[in-house]
Amino acid sequence: MRTLLKGNGAVARAAQMAGVQVISVYPITPQTSIVEELADMVAQGRLNARYIKVESEHSALAACIAAASVGARTFTATSGQGLAFMHELLHWAAGSRLPIVMVNVNRALAAPWSLFTDQTDSLSQRDTGWMQIYCQSAQEALDSVIQAFEVSQRVLLPCMVLLDGFLLSHTFENVDVPEQGTVDSFLGPLKVPHMVDIANPAAIGGLSDPECYTAFRRKLQIAHEQALEVWADVGRQWGELTGRSYDVIEEYRLHDAELVLVASSTPAMTARVAIDALRERGIAAGLLRLRVFRPFPANALRRALSRKRAVVVLDRNCSFGHHGIFYQETKSALYELPAADRPPVRGIIAGLGGRDITPEDIEQMLLQGSGSEGLEPVTWWKTLPEEEAVEAEPCTATK
Amino acid sequence: MSVPQPKSLRDLPITAYATRPTSENNTGTWKYVEPRYEDRLPPCAQACPAGNDISRIILLLAGGDLIGAGRLLRSGNPLPATLGRVCPHFCERQCNRDLFGGSIAVHMIERFLGDLLLRDESAQEPVTPSGRKVAVIGAGPAGITAAYALALKGHEVEVFDEKPKPGGYLRTGIPDYRLPKEILDREIEFIERVGVKFIQGIRIGRDIGFEDLRSRFDAVIAAVGLHESRAFEVPGSNHRHIYDGVELLERILSGEIPELPSTVAVVGGGNTAIDVARSLLRLDVSPTIVYRRSETEMPAIASEVEEAKREGVGFQFLTTPIAVVIEDGAVVALECCKMQLGEPDASGRRTPVPIPNSEFRLPFAGIVAAIGETADLGFLRQAAANGKRSLDGFYIAGDASTSEGTVAAAVGSGRRVAAMVHSYLVNGGTTADEPTLQSLWPRKVNTALVAGPQYLNPAYFAPALRPEIAKLNGEQPPSSFAEIVQGFAVESALSEARRCLLCGTCNGCLNCYYWCPDVAVHRDSRNGAGLEIDSMHCKGCGICVEECPRGAMTLEEVAR
Repeated sequence: MRTLLKGNGAVARAAQMAGVQVISVYPITPQTSIVEELADMVAQGRLNARYIKVESEHSALAACIAAASVGARTFTATSGQGLAFMHELLHWAAGSRLPIVMVNVNRALAAPWSLFTDQTDSLSQRDTGWMQIYCQSAQEALDSVIQAFEVSQRVLLPCMVLLDGFLLSHTFENVDVPEQGTVDSFLGPLKVPHMVDIANPAAIGGLSDPECYTAFRRKLQIAHEQALEVWADVGRQWGELTGRSYDVIEEYRLHDAELVLVASSTPAMTARVAIDALRERGIAAGLLRLRVFRPFPANALRRALSRKRAVVVLDRNCSFGHHGIFYQETKSALYELPAADRPPVRGIIAGLGGRDITPEDIEQMLLQGSGSEGLEPVTWWKTLPEEEAVEAEPCTATK
Repeated sequence: MSVPQPKSLRDLPITAYATRPTSENNTGTWKYVEPRYEDRLPPCAQACPAGNDISRIILLLAGGDLIGAGRLLRSGNPLPATLGRVCPHFCERQCNRDLFGGSIAVHMIERFLGDLLLRDESAQEPVTPSGRKVAVIGAGPAGITAAYALALKGHEVEVFDEKPKPGGYLRTGIPDYRLPKEILDREIEFIERVGVKFIQGIRIGRDIGFEDLRSRFDAVIAAVGLHESRAFEVPGSNHRHIYDGVELLERILSGEIPELPSTVAVVGGGNTAIDVARSLLRLDVSPTIVYRRSETEMPAIASEVEEAKREGVGFQFLTTPIAVVIEDGAVVALECCKMQLGEPDASGRRTPVPIPNSEFRLPFAGIVAAIGETADLGFLRQAAANGKRSLDGFYIAGDASTSEGTVAAAVGSGRRVAAMVHSYLVNGGTTADEPTLQSLWPRKVNTALVAGPQYLNPAYFAPALRPEIAKLNGEQPPSSFAEIVQGFAVESALSEARRCLLCGTCNGCLNCYYWCPDVAVHRDSRNGAGLEIDSMHCKGCGICVEECPRGAMTLEEVAR
């Protein structure tokens, strides 16, 4: 049934339909309306779940870890600073191999304070062992949360589903909400094989000797490698049930493109307009959208980008002291191509702290990236020139 | 630890788990600080001159053990029904509960338990006689308490007192509207049941010689109080309508209705002045307190001053009498001088300084002087005359030694002196030091550490209001000496006890047990609260100490 939903509303509906049993959350802008809606559902009896109120995100995830350890289908949501506060427990959840699903509404990290979106919060948690799925629409958010429960329980890894703050979390769109029966037939029963069993007491996650530790970490890595196939598999199954298939990457006018934009989240949606416009002017532009970022779909990227004339990677994030994270990861994947097949790659950092990325911006990025007007290897898009920045009045916080 | 190594990844479980108990890992050895159960001294008990173990008494009461609470109270203080009525309750001024709805009405709890014990007719545990004899001079609160404490230790105690009945100032100086004398009588009956002998109508130094007394007893305690009034020396002060406050109160309390002028000045700012003024009101006399300092400096109990005002006693502050004006043989006025407050004196109160040329007259037909009392230790002169510089086995207790001027201080002094005398008697003539509060209490408390508000965890205390205390609703000005303050019913006493924060006093709430992240707090019946820290697994995180609502735990560095 088609329903007008915000990104956050789609998330709450997805968690409800997935039949979550334990929710432990701490509210933070712009995630708040997710947890408010879930609280309403629980209070009104529309969702039979334990809603655990806590004093911090650290405790929220701790409660989720405990709940998942006893085999409950567990959900949480956060943003920006809240995700940063969870950091230690993100590692615990993944190392404990617990199928927790979390929505993180991307929010730029302080300082200075920002309420608006960029991806540095979730990308800072890249190495925690969580899967990461970047969504471009409310529809995809709903579909991905349900899929995340299925993938997580198959591979026993926690999964983070990402939505751009405000641009996706707070904008309405027509969402096709599946029937409950569809979800029920898709999502198998949760089995946590290593769940706490009071009949067989054990100490979990205790001290491991170096050999065992390495072996457990290797198993975590293998689970991620398998998860890539499972994501593709689950995306196909979902398509069979709903008509909406998903893969680890998404291609738009990419097959015959010479000039390719690699983007993620809502800018990837915007990019289609720019690509259509360039195509109309006879420029063979195309889009590769990164959807599943962890596990990283390196093979898919290599296949899709081999021999392209130019590749521009759009990063709404920065690994300070190096450069955009998607840019690094794309380059690293392409390095394994034979030199002749390896396309030139440029990186652009844009849209930090919620700054708009318009179709015109993307057109210019691609045109400059094609080489005729020349991009630096990494460009900070439309920032103040360095000399002027020094002489200019310092930026002050707006009221 | 030898564990079989897995041969392949498949042999490993999904995540690390061990079926052997984690108690093998003695995590307690890592700590550098360690929690310990240690009761601290609650501020109320620190403030209590009588040395009552207030929080422990309230803990028993809150748990429903009414008789147990009463007996613990009476174990150190034989006059709880009396003190519950007359004590200015220093404890309540320091009460941490004041921050969360008003201090605990400790005096009402004390009175409740005291009244309850008046009906407790159960026999006293017999004590083994020590064969030692103690004489106590003075049957006031200090003498009574010392006699009682020594009798409980098996000593034979005789109390010599010059008045017809025991009680001292409680009987002769505290009006019935504050302390009905049948209450005092009942408490004294109990003390007699414990074995104390009261010998009334005897003045030492007059009827029995002091040295004679010393030769007949193994120890002698002088608890003679402050009965000598300071002289009121202004021109005209020898008129027959000039009264001594202590004497006048005694006459009124003995049932006499003295003939008095209709308007009377009561000179002084202490409890005697207030007691006289309020008694006079009840005898149809219009009294005005004339005091040389301001209300702030009055040594009288503040609530008594409030009551006096409510009842209609007049107040003339910053005024000093300089002469009694007599015309045609009758007192017509008090000639006074206005005062102003100068620099603080040794007591910390500001000294009144006369304002030059400020003389004025206040019309009165009579004057009561209540300007303070001193001790009469005249009998000691006899000993001194015999060349004695120090006296073995002789002790002074109560106001005669401390001049504190409250019944609670007298009881506390009697209690401490009794402990010293007992130690003197059992240790073969060696006089012990002044006993500590800890030595007076059966339970173990770190009396050096006071459980101030900084030790409480306010997250655990919901605000709860101090109850209204019922008072006799009489006409104004009052005409009867009937008791004004009405006691607590059992429900009020229990709910007030349960409002107590029990500062520094473990009540076995089990917060430490529930919060310990290392499961290192065990419930065990071996100590009082049934709680024990498993030192081999406590990592010294201090959460138990932080989460103890009442500051009854201490974190201390581990000695290495």
